[in-house]
Amino acid sequence: MIERDVEFGASVTFDGVSKTYGAVKALSDFNLSIQRGEFVTLLGPSGSGKTTALNVLAGFVDATEGDVRVNKNSILGLPPERRNIGMVFQNYSLFPHMNVFENVAFPLRLRKVAQDEVKRRVGESLAMVQLNDFGDRMPNQLSGGQRQRVAFARAIVFEPSVLLMDEPLGALDLKLREAMQLEIKRYHKQLGCTILFVTHDQGEALALSDRIAVMGEGRIVQIDTPDRIYDEPNSKYVADFIGTTNIVDFERGPSSIIRFPALNAEFELQENDKSWGQGQNSISLRPEKLHRDISPSDHVIIFDASVEEYLFLGNIIQYSVRTTTGKTLLFQEHRGPSVPILARGESLKLAFSINDARPLDEGTHGSGHT
Amino acid sequence: MTKLLKQFAKVAVATLVVAGSANLALAADKEITFSGSGGVVGKVSKEVWWGPYTEATGTKINHVAAEAKRMPQLEAMVKSGNVLWDAMEVSASDYPLGVKKGLFEAIDYSLVDPDNQLPADTREEFGVAYAAYSQVLIVRTDKLPDGKKMESWADFWDVENFPGPRALRGRAEDNLEFALLADGVPAEDIYKVLSTEEGLDRAFAKLDEIKPHITTWWTSGAQSVQLLSDGEVYFCPSYNGRITTLVSSGIPAEIVWNGGAMHKSYIAIPKGTEHLKEATEYVKFRTTSADRMREYVTHLPYPGWAPGLFDGMDPKMAANMPTFPANQKVQFSASAEFWAENLDAIQERWTEWLLQ
Amino acid sequence: MNAKKKFTSTWLLWPALFMLVAFFLIPTLDILRASVYDPEFTTKHFAKLLGSNVYLDVLWRTIRLSVIVALICAVIAYPISYFIVQRPRKQQIFFLFLVFIPLWMSVLIRSYAWMVVLGREGMINALLIGLGFTDEPVKMLFTTGAVYVAMVQILLPIQIVTCYSAMTEIDLDLMRAARILGAKPWQAIRRVFLPLSLDGTVTGAIIVFMLSMGFFITPALVGGRKDIMMANLIEFQVQQLNWGFAAAISIVLLIGTVLCVIIIKRLSKILIRRLVGGGHA
Repeated sequence: MIERDVEFGASVTFDGVSKTYGAVKALSDFNLSIQRGEFVTLLGPSGSGKTTALNVLAGFVDATEGDVRVNKNSILGLPPERRNIGMVFQNYSLFPHMNVFENVAFPLRLRKVAQDEVKRRVGESLAMVQLNDFGDRMPNQLSGGQRQRVAFARAIVFEPSVLLMDEPLGALDLKLREAMQLEIKRYHKQLGCTILFVTHDQGEALALSDRIAVMGEGRIVQIDTPDRIYDEPNSKYVADFIGTTNIVDFERGPSSIIRFPALNAEFELQENDKSWGQGQNSISLRPEKLHRDISPSDHVIIFDASVEEYLFLGNIIQYSVRTTTGKTLLFQEHRGPSVPILARGESLKLAFSINDARPLDEGTHGSGHT
Repeated sequence: MTKLLKQFAKVAVATLVVAGSANLALAADKEITFSGSGGVVGKVSKEVWWGPYTEATGTKINHVAAEAKRMPQLEAMVKSGNVLWDAMEVSASDYPLGVKKGLFEAIDYSLVDPDNQLPADTREEFGVAYAAYSQVLIVRTDKLPDGKKMESWADFWDVENFPGPRALRGRAEDNLEFALLADGVPAEDIYKVLSTEEGLDRAFAKLDEIKPHITTWWTSGAQSVQLLSDGEVYFCPSYNGRITTLVSSGIPAEIVWNGGAMHKSYIAIPKGTEHLKEATEYVKFRTTSADRMREYVTHLPYPGWAPGLFDGMDPKMAANMPTFPANQKVQFSASAEFWAENLDAIQERWTEWLLQ
Repeated sequence: MNAKKKFTSTWLLWPALFMLVAFFLIPTLDILRASVYDPEFTTKHFAKLLGSNVYLDVLWRTIRLSVIVALICAVIAYPISYFIVQRPRKQQIFFLFLVFIPLWMSVLIRSYAWMVVLGREGMINALLIGLGFTDEPVKMLFTTGAVYVAMVQILLPIQIVTCYSAMTEIDLDLMRAARILGAKPWQAIRRVFLPLSLDGTVTGAIIVFMLSMGFFITPALVGGRKDIMMANLIEFQVQQLNWGFAAAISIVLLIGTVLCVIIIKRLSKILIRRLVGGGHA
């Protein structure tokens, strides 16, 4: 395996980076600090600025404002070839006229590495992606997954300070995608390199990343670890984008009363919870946070509903239920001997703890760093 | 009985009358197809020849503008038995070819020229010379050294006394004759000399002298006019008719008739035509109508030998005619036979010579 | 469904196939026949042709001229096509339009236009004399150089269009990949773009080469004494009704052209392999 190089893995800082195309702001005041060896994902729909950020770092796009530093050194003045950054492209971008060996050797040859060393390092990289015997193949003789692995080997063979991955799994089918996610995790662990990963697939982001930066309208809406992004989205935008959730509006009544009109239910805040939901008017309620048999307590909200439809998902049943006011919610529970499946039309009482309900900001202007 | 006879006679007369008028109608609808030059020549011919011909005989003329490669076309027609042309123009160099391949009908001179008025050398077995053009030296008079006049091919070869760029046509025909004339061979002996190996060598040797001074070797008449008018060359042989284009666009140029090569054009009848009688009639009309021909040359300088052609023609115009006796006298008659016989071999040598 | 689809697609090929057979294959075979049957089987035309220096000399000149024209076209068209392919889509159409404009003019007119430009009293000489660079007009027209200039100008659009369409097939991300992997712009072009676009360039050059092999008007109008093309000889023989001999020259020209195309293809393959595997940039 490749020996750990001290320089292999650097910190990256985006400092107030903006990029405008005419009147369009592709990136506005983008700030991000990536630790050495960290795996950070930029997650967002197309047009959210994630690819622009990546291209600014790679040197394909000039920033309008701000600075980008690798290991505290600004790299904006450098052309792409001098940034020492590895990149895996969405469509692999293998050179179709070179065989696998030459593709992987390409960055080494440009760095005038001696032939023996080229052979050794290409061999190591191909071994790492388990394609030792594929050196003579041409790219068009490889499967999608194999091409992806060659692209990866080519991107790391010269031990770049940062590895960029632009939707690298987008062109693969689901099964292969899941297998490759494990592969990438393994590479990251083995190499300890800094990775900036770009995707619009929240599942991929959750599975791979140390931290996820959810992007919208050219800025980071929320950045955090996958579990906290999932459990504590800071805005409707993030809650909607990550996983499945129920968004439920609430109103503030007199004397600490929080009312959920759609649920026809209300709840009184405790003394030390007075700041809950300040300036906000909706909550995110994950389907698995709804429960049937919960004993009433201070923190629990209970409401009536009836089963509209259900989906059988193996060990999980997902119900779509209708409240007395007609709002549809999703509700999930694990199947078990003591948990019978509810029939369509059946009425039930559902409950959730206020601690599981996450108050949300409007739009993409979340509180930024948390 | 008499009544019956009378009735019968009436019917017979009526039938004859009807048949006769039908015949007349048929005659009026007669049409022959003529393959001739397109462009200006075609336009002028329509006015000067075809209209009056239809008026005189009732036979219409359907004109097919001739393409450059009309001999191959004719050959294909005759071979396939599907002859679409009834009469056609034939160049002097094409004529022997057509004769050799048997593509023409023999001319019936008892119909075309019963009084034997046409010059003997225009009366060929399978065609009648109806017009002439000459390949003559054309000189830019403004480019001549002061007081000098170019008068012969010897002058053309004399680059000391007549400096300036020159052009020749890129084919062996005419040029070899010009070279021999420049070398002092009398006009009447040209083809005798050319027929010998030494004579041919002599012509090429003379051409060697002028070769370095030839700017370009033109391939089309239009190009030669362009060369002279652009001042690319000062002295250049070309078709006599081209002088008009030059002069009318204000280029001071004149013809040196001396040593010009006169090429006759023939009118011939494709073998197997369905309208032999009418075609022969047209050949007579085209070759012997002096007034028509006089009118024709006011438009185009391609006169023929119609008896009495120069009677009453403007002397200035007559002087520009290749068949005007004074001009014809100093020219030589280009031998289509010689070239038909020798072109292949000589042209090959010519090409080789050009590439040296 | 599948079978039906298949039927439809072959059926669509028929008109083209018919045209090819009727207007290309049969005439070509007929020319071949005419070159050896006159009227019964004979090799006299080929014997005459191969026995004379002139025809092989002219064939060699024709090939040399065509190769040089194709090379010049390829070298000039390459950067132009590269420039166009890098533009935004709308600009690409505009630039291609500019490239196409000369194609609407006949070869004859363009050749005459070059005579006006290059002549003794032409535009360039008038300029040179006017600016005092020379007293005597410079001889440009009626030289082999003039043939190159005119033929390159006439055939360049064809090369550009072929080259351009090959370049549009290249994923521009490959250039980005090359850059981020450490290639300077020119290295990215030389090691990635050039090898990938060379096939299209060679195709264009072959088309230009084949068209040049059949040229005769332009060399005759602007060329010098020695710029005689094979097609000039064919035309001359056709005018003399020497069908058999004309056919034999045509066959030799055809064979010469095909052989040259094969050689050019071979050479370009070697060249591409060199560029790909070739040394350290």
